[in-house]
This record gives sequence, structure tokens and C-alpha cells, in this order.
Amino acid sequence: MSRCPRAALPGYSGQMGTITDDEVIRKRLLIDGDGAGDDRRINLLLKSFTKWCHSNVTPEEGFTQYQRMLGTLAQCEFSMGKTLLVYDMNLKEMENYEKIYTDIEQSIIAAHEKIAECKKEIQRAKRIRKNRQEYDALAKVIQQHPDRHETMKQLKALDKELHQLSQIKENVEDKLELRKKQFHVLLSTIQELQQTLENDENDDASQESPMENGD
Amino acid sequence: MNNNKSGCIFICVCFYFLKSYALTNRRLVLLHMSVFSQTFSPCGRFLAAGNNYGEIAVFSLSAALSPDATGMSQKPILTFAAHEGPVFSLISTDTHLLSAGNGEISAWSWAELTKRVSNEIVNQLSDNSLIVGGGDNNIHIMDMETGTFKSVLQGHKDYIHCLSFREREGELLSGGEDGAVRIWDARTGQTVHCIEVFKYEECTRPQFGKWIGCLTTDSDWMLCGGGPALSLWHLRSMSPTSVFSLAGCQREAVFYQDLILTVGEGPYVSHCVPGGTVKAQIPSSSPSLNTLTLNLNSNEHRVMTTAGSSDQIDVFTNFSYRAFSLSF
Repeated sequence: MSRCPRAALPGYSGQMGTITDDEVIRKRLLIDGDGAGDDRRINLLLKSFTKWCHSNVTPEEGFTQYQRMLGTLAQCEFSMGKTLLVYDMNLKEMENYEKIYTDIEQSIIAAHEKIAECKKEIQRAKRIRKNRQEYDALAKVIQQHPDRHETMKQLKALDKELHQLSQIKENVEDKLELRKKQFHVLLSTIQELQQTLENDENDDASQESPMENGD
Repeated sequence: MNNNKSGCIFICVCFYFLKSYALTNRRLVLLHMSVFSQTFSPCGRFLAAGNNYGEIAVFSLSAALSPDATGMSQKPILTFAAHEGPVFSLISTDTHLLSAGNGEISAWSWAELTKRVSNEIVNQLSDNSLIVGGGDNNIHIMDMETGTFKSVLQGHKDYIHCLSFREREGELLSGGEDGAVRIWDARTGQTVHCIEVFKYEECTRPQFGKWIGCLTTDSDWMLCGGGPALSLWHLRSMSPTSVFSLAGCQREAVFYQDLILTVGEGPYVSHCVPGGTVKAQIPSSSPSLNTLTLNLNSNEHRVMTTAGSSDQIDVFTNFSYRAFSLSF
């Protein structure tokens, strides 16, 4: 085949000798998807061109043939232009998708970071909750014990009472001592009196008996 | 010809009976199995569990937790007979797995186990000594490098159930059958405190007894339970702050973040709040559970495993529900 179709293939590496015809045919079949008539049109154009060059017809017929060829050429150019535009569009779409891809990747990374942060927050919150619960548990126990001020007040009152009671005890003891002494005095006085009376009796008895003896 | 054929059939039938007998035997073994202890490897990728037949099974956690886990990955990668009696306690150091059975402690190298794949309780201090509490009412401290016993802590009146270490103050807590929790100074070996839990009205449950089955501490607080109800104690003031109203006797309790996880009689794991309320009870597959461990050695295999009076070891990946079970 002619060189034109091969040169029109995009991404062509330029290794003319090594590519087999099979590959060329396969590639052309793959690429020439929508324009089934493009190749045929070019071939037809070439054929009609050569026929027109070698023909001996009237100038009017030659002119119509020439016009027809120009028309076919225009059609081919149009189709080529369309393909080029589609190619540009594909390139732009690819760029767009790449951009979206990188955006999404970045937002994934940001989301991961956010997740890590949130996990840290959760750990902190759990620690805080644990501390609060421990505090509550201790507070419950502490509440069961009475207030320190109350206890101090009670202690002070008890102290005072104790003091008062000990004073009363002292007073009572003093009184007891006094009464004991007084009783002791009383008793000793009574004993002395008794003794004196006995002595007197004895004296009287001894005085009377000598008088009787003297008679 | 006929004789041959019938002979063949006879052998086939015999073989079938033998096989099914072996299977029933194994099923009976599994039925009567209880798992008493578990521990994770230092890298966090393997779980070792000891049962009442004296066997230790090593499971590969990374295989069981991977997305393409099959039924086989829930079987042990290695099972070996460790002791003649039940394996009551397992603990893992940086390089070795220590197991305790009736009267003996064995050390197995983790590197070898993972390559192939005493009524006693052990615990480990930070300075390479091993604390062993035993049936002779005493606690022995053994130096791990030389293998000799360094000291003996005497004071308990009955055998010891559980040990716990209080890192910050360097004290050891022990709980036993006599109902007392003793706090020992690790260096001098003297009893610092002795708390008789069953004497406190809030915790005592005379119908269950006075034994202390589980003990754990995080330096300021202590959890103890067993016969008496599971209770949270503040160690500075030696007073019980909360009592958890759980139906059975608790056999193991741990602190985890802001929760208290505990297992015992009853087919569930209880989540409790330090305030005293039982937040949740997660069902598990054994009728009662003996042991609960958390894998804190590894970040990607952070699971909780529980096991008890069956051959199943439940694995909880999210602590709120049972993900799957490993079995012996």
C-alpha cells in the first residue's frame, strides 16, 4: 500500500522495515473505526486523479471530473480535521482526569490525617473520661465520711464538755475532801468528849469510894 | 473371588469404624477441654494457649486476621505437649514463652516455636526476675538468667491464685484462696499491706466463698474479685470505691483505656465502667471463661482473646463483638 496511511498513524515509532504488514493491517482496522469510507475515498481520489490525467475527454467533462476530485479532497480534509479535533479533545480530557485524580489523592491523604487526629482525640477523651470516673468513684467514698469542719466542731464541743466535766469532778472531789475533814474533826471531837466523860466518871467513882472508906 | 471381595469389604468397613472411632475420640477430647491460660508473643503475631491436657497450641494471628483467612488458619500452627498436668499459666518474655504446670516451669523459645510452628501462676518483673506463686502458700522470686530462686515471700495462709505487679512503686500484689490480698515490697520482701476483701460488707458474698480469683492493678487502682464481688480499690486510701454487680465469680479482669474488661462464670465478657456500672455483656462461645488477654504488643493485630471451658478461643477484633473463634 502507499505510505500515506502509515504516516497518519499516531504513535508511529518510525521503524519502517521491521513492522509487518499484518500489524499494519491490524492497526489500521483498529483505528479506522468510524471512518469506514476514508481509505476508500482516498484510493478513489487517487484512481480518479490518474484516470483524469490519462484521459482524453472533452474539457467540460474533464472540468466536472476535476470539480468532483476537489470535492472528494475537501471531504477527506474535513474528515482529517474532525479526527484531529477529537484527538485534541481526548488529550484535554486525559489532563482533566489526571487533575481530578491528583485532587482525590490529596483529599484521601487529608482524610487519613484527619482520621489520625480524630483517633488521638478519642484517646484523649477516653483518658479524660477515665480520670473523671476515678474522681467520681473517690468522691463517692469521700462523701461517705463526714465533713472535716463538722468533725472539728464536734471535737471542740466534746473537748469543752470534757473540760467542764473535769472541772465539776474537781469541785466535787474538793467538797468530798472538805466534808471528810469536817467529819474527821467531828468524830475526833466526839471521841475526845467520850474520853473526857469516861475519865470524869472514873474520877467520880474513885472520889466516892475513898469517902465511903473513911466513914 | 467372592471371598476376596467380601474380605475387601470387611477391611473397608473396619477401617471406616476405626476412623469414626478416632473422630469421636477427638470430639470427646475437645468436649472436655478447658483452656486455662493464654499469652501473646512479643511481636504480637502469635497466640499461645494452654489447656487442661497439658498441651500448648500456638496460633498465627496474622494468618487468622488476614483478609484471605480460611478455616485452616483458625487451627493452631503448632500443638505440643508441655506438661503432664494442666497448663495453668503462660507468660511471655522478650524471647521466651514460660509455661507453668503442676510443679514445674518450662521455657520455650519463641523463635523455635514460630519456626516450626505448677498449680502455678507466673508473672514477670522488669529486672529479669520471675515471680512464681504456688500451691505451697508462698511466692518465690526466681532470677531468670541463672534459674535460681532469689527469695521467698511468706504470709499467705492458703494457696495463691493470682499475681500482679505495681510498676510505679515496685510492689507485688498477690491474691489467694485465703481471701487476702497482700501487697509486698519487691525488694525487701515484706508485706506492706494485707487487705482481707471478704471482711468488707460491700464486696463480700459469703455464698461464693472468700477466695480471690483475679487481681490486676494499674498502680493507683486495683481490681480484685472471685468469691467476693469484683471491686475497684483505690490503693492510696486502701478503700473500695466501686463494686460491680456481676452474677458469677470473676476469673480475670483487666484495665483497658477507660474500661474494665472482665470474664468469669457465664458465657460473656463484661465491660464495666470504673464508676461501678456494667456497661455491656458481650456473648462468647464458651459457657464460662477462664482467661482474657489483650494483644498490646502489636498495632495491627490489636485484638482481645478469651477462652474457657471449651476448645474454642474467641477473638474480638472490635472489642464489642466476637469476630471469630480459633480452636484447638
